[in-house]
Amino acid sequence: MVPIALTGVTKVYRGGGGVRDLTLEVDWGEVFGFLGPNGAGKTTTIRLMLDLIRPQRGAVRLFGLDARRDAVAVHRRLGYLPGELALYERLSARETLAHVARLRGGPDEATVERWASELDLELDRPVRALSRGNRQKVGLVSAFMNEPDLLVLDEPTVGLDPLVQRTVHQRVREVAASGRTVFLSSHVLSEVAEVADRVGLIRDGRLVAIERVSDIRARALHVVDVRVGSTATLAALDALEGVTVRQRVDHGVRLEVVGGLNPLLAALAQLDVLDLSVHEPSLEDVFLSYYDGVSR
Amino acid sequence: MFARALREERRGLIGWSVGIATYCVVMLSIFPTIHDNRAFAKIFEAYPEVFRRLFNVTDFTTGPGYLGAEIFSVVAPMLLTLFAILWGSDLAAGEEDRGTIDLLLANPVSRRRVVLEKWSALAVGTLGLGAVLEATLGLLGPLFSLSVGWAGLSAAVIGSAAFALAFATLALAVGASSGSRGLARGVATALAVASYLLSALAPLVSALQRVVGLSLWDQALGHQPLTTGLRLGSLGVVMVVVIVLVAVSVWGYDRRDLAT
Repeated sequence: MVPIALTGVTKVYRGGGGVRDLTLEVDWGEVFGFLGPNGAGKTTTIRLMLDLIRPQRGAVRLFGLDARRDAVAVHRRLGYLPGELALYERLSARETLAHVARLRGGPDEATVERWASELDLELDRPVRALSRGNRQKVGLVSAFMNEPDLLVLDEPTVGLDPLVQRTVHQRVREVAASGRTVFLSSHVLSEVAEVADRVGLIRDGRLVAIERVSDIRARALHVVDVRVGSTATLAALDALEGVTVRQRVDHGVRLEVVGGLNPLLAALAQLDVLDLSVHEPSLEDVFLSYYDGVSR
Repeated sequence: MFARALREERRGLIGWSVGIATYCVVMLSIFPTIHDNRAFAKIFEAYPEVFRRLFNVTDFTTGPGYLGAEIFSVVAPMLLTLFAILWGSDLAAGEEDRGTIDLLLANPVSRRRVVLEKWSALAVGTLGLGAVLEATLGLLGPLFSLSVGWAGLSAAVIGSAAFALAFATLALAVGASSGSRGLARGVATALAVASYLLSALAPLVSALQRVVGLSLWDQALGHQPLTTGLRLGSLGVVMVVVIVLVAVSVWGYDRRDLAT
């Protein structure tokens, strides 16, 4: 049974917002990135999975179990980091995590301490005295510490410094490598692309695309600047499949290349190339240009 | 969760305990002056019947009479009730309001268990505050030459705590079903006051006498438990109401979308 299966899930709010007809499956050993702008329905989807809210239509099944009827059994195998994380202000981080550990039947205090030191979290300060990033760490430890079969993380790296972000990303990949599953939402593609195997794009409550990150990369657009000895020979590049001339400059051109670079390189080999530079494709640009296309 | 709920409320419990105990000590310290002064008895005898009924003024110069009028007529049960309503209204709706419910329910605990454990803490806390009331009056009373039997005192405290618990459970039920603390407090407080007024005014207004049984105040405290002792039938009525309200809390909480 797959860890996440949503079928035709609809949850519409009176004031607008929510999700419509969401169908989605996430497999074992996968990191699924759930991408979309704020207000697109990411948190609604996640809270539906957690049975904090109920769908008007459709089925939410986790591990093959019903998210509502079998909520206790589902939650035993699931770690959750809420998007708008709220903690018990009067407790220290240690007390908060001990409370969660009591409710979950584990882990022991040594494990909690190991996680805390890895994320550089001070356990004995009261939560109300913690910075945004440190609060986030409390939530992350509580989600990770029991090594659940499924991790559901709503905007996990918000407020974290880059070093801790990297640790979290590394942990996420390790979870997937051990055959468990991570469902992670973000409004930043670069984060999703760094850790996820697949990306689902949600917009205005609808899932508009699901793609493998590797496919997005393959579709990536390269910008190539070429300078040649004789500009007359550049005409040969116009006819190449996937190549568009964007701009003519002194003794050269700026090209946009879709797909692989091989055809262009083969053509360039015939020319008197003085200089060649290829700009890293920005995944952000690639995906978002596609995204804009969908929204129009 | 049960222990957590009690711990979270410990400051409130301590504060209210001190407050109720202080009030009791002040009222006890006045008793000797009244007790020794026959003039007071005459004054109260001169009061109109309506007044004496409304404020439960009977034999003011005896220990039970004094406590019945000064402590258990309105103030002590209402203090217990106010405390319990404030707490009960916060139990379900408060975690939702503060957003901590996401963290709590992500664990393998059912909503039913959340409500039941929190209610248990509420019941224990309310009884605990009642025990403080009883201990203060029972132990310190003799120091002020006011003696009252433990049986009568216990009956009055149990009646007060039962009334408080009923309306706190109502606050829990409204909060759990609506997610609104304000609504929970408003409904529970208004009905608690209405219940008291119905019981207090019934002897004076004949139209109310037929419906006075609806007043939980009348059921729990109307029979002057300080002097007449426990009346199990009435207490049973209050407990049935409490159990129904607990069931409503569970049902109302379980069927609802919880706020972000």
